[in-house]
Amino acid sequence: MLKLLDISKKYGDATHKYPFEPYVVADNFRGKPAYKFDLCIGCAACGIACPSNAITVQFNEDQSKLVWEFDCGRCIFCGRCDEVCPTAAITLSNEFELAVKFDKNALIQRGELETQYCSKCNKPFSAKRLVHYGYECLSKANLGEKRLKEAENYLTVCPTCKKTATATSFTRGEEMVIE
Amino acid sequence: MKCDKFIEALSQKVKVLEVTRQYEDQVTALVELNDLPEAVRFLYYDVGGYLSTMVANDEREINKHYALYYALSIEGGKMFEGDEIEQDEKCFVTVKVLISPDSLTFPSVTPVVPACVWYEREAYDMFGLVAEGLPDKRRLALSDDWPEDLFPLRKDAMDYRHRPDMVDHDKEPEYNFLKPEGSGMVELPLGPLHITSDEPGHFRLFCDGDTIIDADYRLFYQHRGMEKLAENRMNYDQMGYLAERVCGICGYAHAIACIESAEKSVNLEIPARAQAIRIVCLEIERLHSHLLNIGLACEVTGNYNAFMHLFRIREYSMKLAELVTGGRKTYGNVVMGGLRRDMTGKEIKKSLEILQIIEVQVNEVWDAIMDDKRQVKRWTGVGILDKQVARDFSAVGPNVRGSGIKRDTRYDHPYDFFKHIEFEVAVAHGCDVLSREMVRYMELKSSISIIRQCFELMPQTAIIIEPELNVKPENFALAYDEAPRGENVHWVMQGNAQKIYRWRCRAATYNNWPSLRFQFRGNNIADAALIVCSLDPCFSCTERVTVVDVNSKKSKILTNKDLKSFSRTQKDSPLKDIRC
Repeated sequence: MLKLLDISKKYGDATHKYPFEPYVVADNFRGKPAYKFDLCIGCAACGIACPSNAITVQFNEDQSKLVWEFDCGRCIFCGRCDEVCPTAAITLSNEFELAVKFDKNALIQRGELETQYCSKCNKPFSAKRLVHYGYECLSKANLGEKRLKEAENYLTVCPTCKKTATATSFTRGEEMVIE
Repeated sequence: MKCDKFIEALSQKVKVLEVTRQYEDQVTALVELNDLPEAVRFLYYDVGGYLSTMVANDEREINKHYALYYALSIEGGKMFEGDEIEQDEKCFVTVKVLISPDSLTFPSVTPVVPACVWYEREAYDMFGLVAEGLPDKRRLALSDDWPEDLFPLRKDAMDYRHRPDMVDHDKEPEYNFLKPEGSGMVELPLGPLHITSDEPGHFRLFCDGDTIIDADYRLFYQHRGMEKLAENRMNYDQMGYLAERVCGICGYAHAIACIESAEKSVNLEIPARAQAIRIVCLEIERLHSHLLNIGLACEVTGNYNAFMHLFRIREYSMKLAELVTGGRKTYGNVVMGGLRRDMTGKEIKKSLEILQIIEVQVNEVWDAIMDDKRQVKRWTGVGILDKQVARDFSAVGPNVRGSGIKRDTRYDHPYDFFKHIEFEVAVAHGCDVLSREMVRYMELKSSISIIRQCFELMPQTAIIIEPELNVKPENFALAYDEAPRGENVHWVMQGNAQKIYRWRCRAATYNNWPSLRFQFRGNNIADAALIVCSLDPCFSCTERVTVVDVNSKKSKILTNKDLKSFSRTQKDSPLKDIRC
């Protein structure tokens, strides 16, 4: 019994002064995912990777915005979103203080991105930033100027219209030339 | 090849209809329904096996039958020196039977192998398969007011989101506790719910004065239907995270077993470095779990000082986990094909420093506890788990090792990196709480040495391979690992569309509960909480106790505080004023 008291004396205080002092976590701590709106392109990779459906990427009601939404209450801090994000818009931070007062909506984080409408059918299909990101990637890929111009038009066409166009030209026997 | 010898022996006894091999050490033998008890008994007692898991499965879509798989770990009876099978012959033999959907009955194995009792009760709950001859046919997993004709794991039974209506409190069916006969007996309910408890369970203790004569218990108040959820909604990427949340303490062991069973059923060998890091994380988990349990065993007996010290040391093991995986409790780094997160040299160096601290301080505190005669006396001779009972009920983990049986999955079926690692299996022979805590202490030391060996031998390979998901529907395999509480066994049958057909998750404590009753017998009620604690079911809580004296018809409600203080001081029995 007394031996235990000796050990207490030997090691002194084991507690931290938290919250009056910051509590330091390990460098690679998996804390709350931090979202940088400016970098987000709305590709929805995180939404597909998220095993617990904490991240959703959907159009809002009038389809004027592509809404990226993160519900911290569902998050399991696995970090898959961090892995798949192409622009590092979402990274796991060191933040572990997640409590909210009374209002569960405070756990939800939202980012609204401009919708890209299809240049053919005028339906919304993606975010403007994603299309722009695609264009930037292509422009760094050493393509000819004419080809790049084509791609720029092509990028703003929605997948449905692309399919229809391909099917139509195929049935008409038109040849498509890619330079 | 491995297992062939045992199948040969089995076919001498009963007619084996078909033999299939799942993995190099796993074989399934299909036998006739009426031969089932004899086949399992033969493998269990004559060949020397322990029941690892039993899986009921609805295979009507595949072969128009229900199926039962009794998976036995063939490792020898281990009841005396030399009663063990050669190291390179140990394997898993599964006995499979098919049950026609018209009869829905099968002969119970429990009368000849008591370890099957919970599995067969659950087979009724989930599939409506009736074990003929099972002495105890009460519900196990589902609540008492669950609809009689709804069997949730049948493929055509219900949507996984369906919640049957609850029955009003006054109409709720009564659960029949098994009672010993005789007069002058006091019935003592313990539980089921307390706000701080993480695992509610209701215990009924039958006492003569302060001595427990017998006990019965009702658990599964928080059955979460994970198996159903995984079958319906999850893909392989998501399942590992779900499995990790089976348990709040040994979750990582579940994640590993779950993912490895999926890997084994497609014959996937993961890189050596991933294997080593998986072992490191499993052993870190053992460190913090054993420290927690030894701490609680002190706390239940009122030794707060030692409890605080052990929890102070435990904090280092949590820090270690944070450093290695980025999370204190959920490590979340296991995926099919390997791991998601590597370790850097800097992290290894820091880990070694923390391990050094843990090793020194654990030894100090343990020596101090062992010096305390009163503490040791509270643990000695309490909650005896007889060696034969442990054998009959296939107990696992420190529970069985404390009863002198050398059973450790890491040693019997070395998985992952354990083939390259040397360690001693901790065994104690006292059969009581002290022996179980001794085993835990010895395992703390061996865990530290295992982690160090892993760091030393750390292979320089990739940590993940692209899994060639050669998924074949109907392929199945089981995977196992030694969680802090004993062997965790997961069984996965592949389905189509990247989903599983059936996932059976068997946590270590599932095999330990049925024998708890024998550990209670003959002990003082003040030790009840300690005995439950020594089982380590992450459970040390007793909310409110109603005591009814059968003779005097007097009753009394005890609070958590009353019982706990009696448990600590062993003075002023709260029952004394109602005895007749």
